[in-house]
Amino acid sequence: MALRAAILRHVRVPVKTLTLTGRKSQPWGSYGSSLRFLSSHGDDHLSKDEVIERVLSVIKSFPKVDPSQVTPDVHFQKDLGLDSLDNVEIVMALEEEFKLEIPDKEADKIDSCNLAIEYIYNHPMAG
Amino acid sequence: MSLTSTAGYVARRAAQRERVRILYRRALKDTLNWAVHRHLFYQDASELRERFEVHKHVQDPDTIDRMIEDGEAQYNKWRHPDPYIVPWAPGGSKFTRNPTPPSGIEIVYNFGREDHLEN
Repeated sequence: MALRAAILRHVRVPVKTLTLTGRKSQPWGSYGSSLRFLSSHGDDHLSKDEVIERVLSVIKSFPKVDPSQVTPDVHFQKDLGLDSLDNVEIVMALEEEFKLEIPDKEADKIDSCNLAIEYIYNHPMAG
Repeated sequence: MSLTSTAGYVARRAAQRERVRILYRRALKDTLNWAVHRHLFYQDASELRERFEVHKHVQDPDTIDRMIEDGEAQYNKWRHPDPYIVPWAPGGSKFTRNPTPPSGIEIVYNFGREDHLEN
């Protein structure tokens, strides 16, 4: 009996380390991207493609914009024929889409699609 | 002399434009705070937009300054006492909750059913 327990203990140790290292090499990969963490400090970052796609869809659904003209390098006022107040509304729509709160002065600087994508992609809390 | 005054005029107009944009942004956010439902917000937002659009073609800088003052005073008067704050932001409901664990600590999420326990 004591021999069996000793052997089992001996056998189990390598198995344990194996599973642990196996998990480490593939951190939560099997859960996919659908898993949301409880931590409020943004350990899930958006991919650039997703940011681009969602930013474009927000801009395309803006009533005054012709959806066929929207590309990732478009400038809101020069290319889409919007005015500065429309620009404010778009930035607010983007904030709601990505659950962000952008300070007023920074939001005021965002005037093109490129800048918006860049800002949101680099924001740690964009979700 | 005229060059400096023109530059001064342009700078002043640019500053006014920025103030108006920020005022509109704050007012629009506040409108959303006051509106209980989205469909109410859309109506309020277009009314707010109308109020800005009416004075779109005003050119005199002093008049504009006075209007901005007036708008900011109204905004401050009607500011929502308990505005919506994004959860992670200071004042939000999730602010400093569940901070990331220190590095080096591993959390096992599969409670009691890990592979190596073998039932």
